[in-house]
Amino acid sequence: MSEPRQPRAAFAPWDRRELPGIFGVEETARRVGNYKWIEMRLFEALGGWVATVPELDVKLVLGRHCYHHAWHSELWDKRLPELREMKTDRLTLPPNDEMIAFVDALREPEAPELTIEKLVGVYRVLLPHKIAAYTYHQNGSSRITDAPTIRSFGFILQDELEDWREGEMLLQSLIETPDEVERAANRQRELEKLIVAAGGIAGPGTIGGETGVPAPEGVAVG
Amino acid sequence: MKKILPPEELARDARFVRVNIQDTIADPRQAKVSERNTGSAKLEPDRPAAADRARQLMHGIFMGEVQALEGAGRTTFDFTDEEVPFQLKLDMARQSWDESRHCEISVKLAEHMGTEIGEFAEATFLYEAACAPDALLRLTGVNRALEGLAIDVFNTMKLFGDHSGDPVLAACEDWMLADEVTHVKMGSDWLRRLTENDPERRELALEFQRTVDKLFSLGGFRGETDDNPIQLARRFRELAGFSTEEIDELSEVTAEAQAEAEAAAGVNKS
Ligand SMILES: [Fe+2]
Ligand SMILES: [Fe+2]
Repeated sequence: MSEPRQPRAAFAPWDRRELPGIFGVEETARRVGNYKWIEMRLFEALGGWVATVPELDVKLVLGRHCYHHAWHSELWDKRLPELREMKTDRLTLPPNDEMIAFVDALREPEAPELTIEKLVGVYRVLLPHKIAAYTYHQNGSSRITDAPTIRSFGFILQDELEDWREGEMLLQSLIETPDEVERAANRQRELEKLIVAAGGIAGPGTIGGETGVPAPEGVAVG
Repeated sequence: MKKILPPEELARDARFVRVNIQDTIADPRQAKVSERNTGSAKLEPDRPAAADRARQLMHGIFMGEVQALEGAGRTTFDFTDEEVPFQLKLDMARQSWDESRHCEISVKLAEHMGTEIGEFAEATFLYEAACAPDALLRLTGVNRALEGLAIDVFNTMKLFGDHSGDPVLAACEDWMLADEVTHVKMGSDWLRRLTENDPERRELALEFQRTVDKLFSLGGFRGETDDNPIQLARRFRELAGFSTEEIDELSEVTAEAQAEAEAAAGVNKS
């Protein structure tokens, strides 16, 4: 039987969490503000498109996914004051003008015959970029100092991955002819260029590389 | 994509048939139908036409759910961050999800009751109220007036399910009723919050609500007497933020609408 007063380490042997993460408080807040901004623009677009798509199954899925991204934006909005930004609107921003151009192009299709174009923008361009950005941030953060952000990433990524799969399956069911394959590929190419120009949903350095991010805060422990 | 999508641009597949509700109301055959004395108009299982009426109502509910989904979705998109609070947009997104589930429930219930998409026509009155240029008018015209009507309709359908021994219908209606109370409450809460210091704007919004309420008491369709197929659901309306005075006022509006319809049809109630 163990002796209750026997000193034990603060971390169990299997607990490999480490300090610090790659981002400090300020850079995390900036990115979270970018995340909230893109989640908002996305849920608005999905909500707006519901009335414009004639395919009943797509209409109903867009209504459901609209709420998922609204909830993500709410999680990010709640995180911002905990990252010392009390006026959350101040950081609810796109990373740069190129991102605005991407979102304008993403939300442009309206006509009822453009369901493929609408879905490609969301499920073949934006969601893969969000999944990459969130995964990078999650993996690069300390599971001790930034555990609340990481917990949100867990919930959000689960939605993103499931929604991406559902959207991709809808697309595969809609794309039936070589012409439609072309339409989907053209649309993806056009939007991919724009999001690459923006550097990703949090601007250059969204998934590492040249970031201009300040050196991490805290002490190396390990 | 433009802001404010007009009702005629609502996207539908080939099964759906659109009608103008004014044409339906003005149809001269309606007066003939009103002349028939069929006793209580309540939706009760022992009425010979009850199954057909319930199927038609179910189809109407489905169409209402589609438009409620479209309207809530548009409200997330049609207004900038400066025009409406963030939390209001979140509420509308939540409503989009709820209405999407209601569409799914309604499609399955419609099949369960023996009808299918397109058997009855679609009128776009709900979505039209969701095109108001002021978000506050959408919250009173759609959330308080038309979603309030949904409360009355679902409660009536739930009771029909109970009385006709259909537990599937009763249970599903009860779930939708819970969501609709939430949607009406959203309307009540936002009306209070957005007009806290602006009684004039509040009155304008309530006036729009009254207009919609009267229009959709549909000449005696809804009320508190045996002549009304849809009964006013007082208890659930209270949960959704309606005061007793407001419900009494609505009851009067429905009675007026019924009297006007009877006068127009030349019905002599003696
Ligand atoms: Fe509904
Ligand atoms: Fe509703």
